[in-house]
Amino acid sequence: MTNGGCATRDGHKEVSEAAGNLQGAAPRPARTASTGQDRGSQNRFLKISTMTDGDYDYLIKLLALGDSGVGKTTFLYRYTDNKFNPKFITTVGIDFREKRVVYNRQGPNGSPGKAFKVHLQLWDTAGQERFRSLTTAFFRDAMGFLLMFDLTSQQSFLNVRNWMSQLQANAYCENPDIVLIGNKADLSDQREVNERQAKDLADKYGIPYFETSAATGQHVEKAVATLLDLIMKRMEQCVDKPPGADAANGAGSAKLDPAKAEEKRCAC
Amino acid sequence: MAQIVNEQKRQMDSKRQSSGRILLLPLLRVRVPTPAALRGEEQLSEPGHGHVPLLLARVLQRDEELRKAEERRIRRLKNELLEIRRKGAKRGSQRYSERTCARCQQSLGRVSPKANTCRGCNHLVCRDCRSYSPNGSWRCKVCTKEAELKKTTGDWFYDQRVNRFANRLGSDMVRLSLRHRSAASKRETVGQTLLQKAQLSEPKSSSAAQQQSPPAPREGPSLFPDVSDPPDGKSDTESMENMSLDGYRPSPGGVGGRRNSLERAAPPRDGKQVAAPAGPAASSLTLPLRSKTALSTGRDAAVGTCSSTLVDEHGTIFKKNPRRVVRPADYTKSVIDLRLEDFVGEGASLGDRSKSVPGLNMELEEEEEDIDNLVEIHRQRVARGSMRSGTSSSTLGSMVSIYSEAGDFGNVAVTGGISFSLSYEQKTQTLFIHVKECRQLAYGDEGKKRSNPYVKTYLLPDKSRQGKRKTTIKRNTINPQYNELLKYEINKSLLLARTLQFSVWHHDRFGRNTFLGEVEVPLDAWNFESQLEEFLPLHGKIGTDAAGLHQYKGELVVSMKYIPSSKHPGAGNDRKGKTGEGGELQVWIKEAKNLTAAKSGGTSDSFVKGYLLPHKTKASKRKTPVVKKTLNPHYNHTFVYNGINPEDLQHICLELTVWDREPLSSNDFLGGVRLGVGNGMSNGQAVDWMDSTGEELNLWQKMRQYPGSWAEGTLQLRSTMAKMRP
Repeated sequence: MTNGGCATRDGHKEVSEAAGNLQGAAPRPARTASTGQDRGSQNRFLKISTMTDGDYDYLIKLLALGDSGVGKTTFLYRYTDNKFNPKFITTVGIDFREKRVVYNRQGPNGSPGKAFKVHLQLWDTAGQERFRSLTTAFFRDAMGFLLMFDLTSQQSFLNVRNWMSQLQANAYCENPDIVLIGNKADLSDQREVNERQAKDLADKYGIPYFETSAATGQHVEKAVATLLDLIMKRMEQCVDKPPGADAANGAGSAKLDPAKAEEKRCAC
Repeated sequence: MAQIVNEQKRQMDSKRQSSGRILLLPLLRVRVPTPAALRGEEQLSEPGHGHVPLLLARVLQRDEELRKAEERRIRRLKNELLEIRRKGAKRGSQRYSERTCARCQQSLGRVSPKANTCRGCNHLVCRDCRSYSPNGSWRCKVCTKEAELKKTTGDWFYDQRVNRFANRLGSDMVRLSLRHRSAASKRETVGQTLLQKAQLSEPKSSSAAQQQSPPAPREGPSLFPDVSDPPDGKSDTESMENMSLDGYRPSPGGVGGRRNSLERAAPPRDGKQVAAPAGPAASSLTLPLRSKTALSTGRDAAVGTCSSTLVDEHGTIFKKNPRRVVRPADYTKSVIDLRLEDFVGEGASLGDRSKSVPGLNMELEEEEEDIDNLVEIHRQRVARGSMRSGTSSSTLGSMVSIYSEAGDFGNVAVTGGISFSLSYEQKTQTLFIHVKECRQLAYGDEGKKRSNPYVKTYLLPDKSRQGKRKTTIKRNTINPQYNELLKYEINKSLLLARTLQFSVWHHDRFGRNTFLGEVEVPLDAWNFESQLEEFLPLHGKIGTDAAGLHQYKGELVVSMKYIPSSKHPGAGNDRKGKTGEGGELQVWIKEAKNLTAAKSGGTSDSFVKGYLLPHKTKASKRKTPVVKKTLNPHYNHTFVYNGINPEDLQHICLELTVWDREPLSSNDFLGGVRLGVGNGMSNGQAVDWMDSTGEELNLWQKMRQYPGSWAEGTLQLRSTMAKMRP
């Protein structure tokens, strides 16, 4: 019913502060890995007071997970700041970014519906095993998940299965909203996972699949928007179903025929 | 590229292994850092390791800022709902016509009640007070606002999460209830928990530094119940790590505090500090720890099945081993013990601590209570509203209406019968009940020789609100012609296990509805093909005496202990600022047996609510977590009431009620007990709730007789909380 579309608006101030410390949106340099010298930079941009004004309709918490080095942090950085940081800075434990987007819920007949301001809190988790117990603890607070792997690493793809079981065990419910994301799509020459494979896996889990590139920005927004849409739909369902309408109880005579409701006018 | 990354990973790994000084996070498997290394942490500039937990603290700090903004926003939203309600809703107190809009009080004129009934609250609502959803259905504005709130506040999410984790967080729940908090902090996030711990550790550590040996049986950072583990090497490492994180404070002045806790953190290396507090608390901890380490040996799988649900709330996040799958059942208990001891012994620091909690949870809880209340009030209005059915115990959440249940039966000599036919449509999986008519009904109002009968159905055993269907009310007749269709969407196989119950009620506009008779139709033997009309005579309530009081509703196993103040030093001094005197009443809700099924599938999601009468207020309200999908739930939850003098026990009464949790709707009453002296008197006044009998009475007396020891009893649940005494 609610065909959601998702338009994004630029994030606020904190975004640009963040950019200051990283390598900006310079023409894409060759991907290089570097040790985490400037790890502190992740957290130097802390002034986010302008973001936390509460002037939004929904606070939606997403969480990115996947093996170490698949590009979760850069993916989120691309999403929130539309910039690319080629350095590999291992995430320490947990971090998050924020972004304000506008979510359009379309009307019943495709008419433009109401627009909602959605504040996204995008949790970034460490992929490294040693942080596992901390990161998995955070799973329960997220409403949706960006499950990422590296298209250039077969191993990271194989581990998707494990991440899924982690999610099932630790998320707020057994079948949370997830999108599967194959990142680093731009590195086509090093590709180890083909699209068919990944798509099949996603189908098996019944979740959408996207091939993204944090370097080029390909499908990054789309992946997040899709996830957000899933969450918003679930939210509607959660709230909209008549109280306790289990399969067996169903909605019986109490349920109104909408057409009927239209016909009858009350006298006031 | 991948190679480079891998290369780098390797580097990191080797670095991690070679350097004993990387104290990244307490959860990391790293070597025991030297005190010097720990101090090194304070030099933020040192790249690569020392400052890492500070990073975490900062992340959490940012998270808290966001959360606080979110809380403000939610408060604002809830106020809006209150406002709408104030303007619109029909007040229970004031009499109003049934033919008015429940929201704006405008007259509705002649309308079909069905078409104008809000599907959320069952009030009749005029067109102006509706909100249409995109699919054309509508609800009244209050219900819409409620639904909207569920979305905007994220309650839809937290409710689901609560369902999932409620059962597993037993120890946490106990902790909460001991802190005089119900399990209401469903919004609590991991980040919040961690941050609080970090903050809490500060007053704690300073107080501990000042007086190293308070009467406390243990003095470790009590927020980490597992921390002060027995002094084997591993646990030292752990506790060390734990404490080091414990000491992190995000605030600018945090260095001193951190140093403090770090210095305290060092001693465990020689195993003295934590080893010192021998005693029940410490010894009870050994068990869980061992089993944990045993489990931790096999840590080879790439991604284990970590159950961080238990882990998170408890600071055990900082465990090194993520692969702890099960925690022994005793664990919960040992934690309970610890906390109890802890609280008893450290009354003073408790005060600090609760102050240092930035009031988050308290406020939150109140908010939730607010909304609970709102909904309850709302429902009560519904109960009194036009779609009245004030007598069915299972449909109404409000205690008031439940309690008023008795007295509706038995006043009328049941006569007559009901004529109906059944059919089942395979395609839509729907049972159609064609209620044709009733004949020769009794008069609901004997004096005026009047009956305004309507028919209500349930598919037993489901007596929930959702399982209820009703016909319209026919005025002033004892031979009502209905010709109405009631529908149930239900799978055929499930249907065959049900019993269709018709009950006929006299609708009384101003008083209670009166029971006119009922009849049950077991569906397993029903021939759905025939569709022939049946006429069945009505009968009175089966298996119940006149008041329906002694219906079997199952049992509740409760253990109680009263601890007089003398045996309980420090209690009451800092808590609640109440009398400063008085003992503590502990009520251990163990389990319930043979509860009534309120949900389809023959189960219930039950919880126990407690009030300490005469105070039926938020302050005396306690709840257990919900235990899902069982009729024999194990709650293992303790309610604690403070400031109770021995002589009070003569005048108070503990009321425990069991409820089936019905999210987004009112909960269903499953039974209850009252524990007290049962003499009908409280503080010199006659009260109807002091009505304990039998085992209820025995248990209460046993508890009074032996202060400081547990008195346990298995209590029959009452089917109604209406007063027992005539």
